[in-house]
Amino acid sequence: MKSELELRGVQQRFHARGVADGYITAVDDVSFSLAASPPQIVSLVGQSGSGKSTIARNVLGLQKPTAGSVLYGGKDIFKLNRAEYDEYRRDVQPVFQDPYAIFNPFYRVDRVLWKAVKKFKLASTREAGLTLIEESLRAVRLEPENVLGRYPHQLSGGQRQRIMLARVHMLRPSFIIADEPVSMLDAQVRKHFLDILLDFQTEHGMTTLFITHDLSTVYYLGGEVMVITKGQIVERGPVSTVMHEPSHPYTKLLLDSIPQPDPDQRWTSRIAVDELDDLEETDAQAAPAPEAPIL
Amino acid sequence: MSDSVLEIKGLEVAYSTNRGDVKAVRGIDLDVRRGEILGIAGESGSGKSTLAVALLRLLKAPGKVTGGSVLFNPAGRSPVDLLKVHGEELRVLRWSALSYLPQGSMSSLNPVMRVQDQFKDVILEHAPDRKNSLHELIPRLLGQVGLEPRVARMYPHELSGGMKQRVLMAIAVALEPDLVIADEPTTALDVTIQRVILQSLADLRTDFGVTLMVISHDMGVHAQLADRVAVMYEGQLVEVGDVRQVFKDPQDAYTRQLIESIPKVGRRAS
Repeated sequence: MKSELELRGVQQRFHARGVADGYITAVDDVSFSLAASPPQIVSLVGQSGSGKSTIARNVLGLQKPTAGSVLYGGKDIFKLNRAEYDEYRRDVQPVFQDPYAIFNPFYRVDRVLWKAVKKFKLASTREAGLTLIEESLRAVRLEPENVLGRYPHQLSGGQRQRIMLARVHMLRPSFIIADEPVSMLDAQVRKHFLDILLDFQTEHGMTTLFITHDLSTVYYLGGEVMVITKGQIVERGPVSTVMHEPSHPYTKLLLDSIPQPDPDQRWTSRIAVDELDDLEETDAQAAPAPEAPIL
Repeated sequence: MSDSVLEIKGLEVAYSTNRGDVKAVRGIDLDVRRGEILGIAGESGSGKSTLAVALLRLLKAPGKVTGGSVLFNPAGRSPVDLLKVHGEELRVLRWSALSYLPQGSMSSLNPVMRVQDQFKDVILEHAPDRKNSLHELIPRLLGQVGLEPRVARMYPHELSGGMKQRVLMAIAVALEPDLVIADEPTTALDVTIQRVILQSLADLRTDFGVTLMVISHDMGVHAQLADRVAVMYEGQLVEVGDVRQVFKDPQDAYTRQLIESIPKVGRRAS
């Protein structure tokens, strides 16, 4: 178990047609680090296309960055030896967005849990393995008898997503990389899921990188937040500070775009989609209401 | 001409189950005034989407309308009870007088058709006489929602979520309907895109006089967009009123709870 996961000057470019130099830069010189101790929750928030999922893929080793490096315990994850790589694989666990796509529909859901038991040699006997699985299912507030032996289609999205959390619970990684894990869940199930993540932090000392576009989720989780736009992290700090005293114009625009539940506080300025692209030039704050209120 | 586009009286909708009927909409009386934006608020399962599909006559078994009437007054046509029209009569009303803006999901546009062909599909089906003006109509409609004419030649997978939602909006108003029913038009979009969509919806009303019924669980959306808000709870309307009155001086205990339970995030950059 290593104590730190670090991105150093990570850049990820993709070939693209119809752009000037034939590339688009999805992640542009991103550096940050996550410490395993004390356990923390760091949210990465940005709109669609800002590069946040690409960062998740880089951190998980699914995509080798075009420049810069991802360091686990000080070593580049793409240069680890076999034993170190196995440790990294166990110690950094993903939770993905789509609770439907991660299961093979032909196998019972037990399989993803048993695979983890076998691959990481968590138990030597079948009984011990089953005890472990049942314990982890209870830790994510699932009743083993309600889910074991079932096929993915027989479970709800929230149940499936919690099975992935049970798998994480069995492995006790230092780091969880959660890429939009709640965007397909409804409000109540979503809260449930977030509470389990908070449990994991306090009771099992897991550090989570939580990737989302939803600011209210970030607010609920607390901890730290990083704001990303166009592949660059523009702001990082405690949730309470960033949400109340944003320093970057993009963060301000993002916060300002949350519809306030107050008809007397309607937006008075307009934004256009193109405006989101050239925000550097036009500070959202500096251009007060150029025209009549929108309503 | 009556100043109500829609007069809903005692509407009841139930879903049949093995254990008898579950009433999803229980006796709703509601008027939609011409030119207004009416917000329908309520939590999941309060019956707001059931109300929408019942009004659009898209309710499928086991759902059924068990009572009430819905008087629809399209401009320049005689009033009809939406619950009693069938077949051709209903088809003619759809799109040209009554239209629907679905949630902007992947599944609302046909993935193998260019945007312009999806417009053609609708326009030729419901207003074949406009065939010759299509080439100028489609760019104009796209322009209304802030999209460039080149979007017409694109396929849905080339569009972002916000662009797809705006294409759906442009299609919904293509034939200048009297009433557009929008079901959760901004759910699943990120906040900046949501703001753009709400802006465009408000523009449609200001510039083209479209009457909008906007269903959303997000009270923030109603506060920003609606003129009047109707709050549903367990299939009933607990409160209908001017947006300011509903937010500033809610009359019903549930409305008050709903407003108090909105998470407050950060500050407003002002």
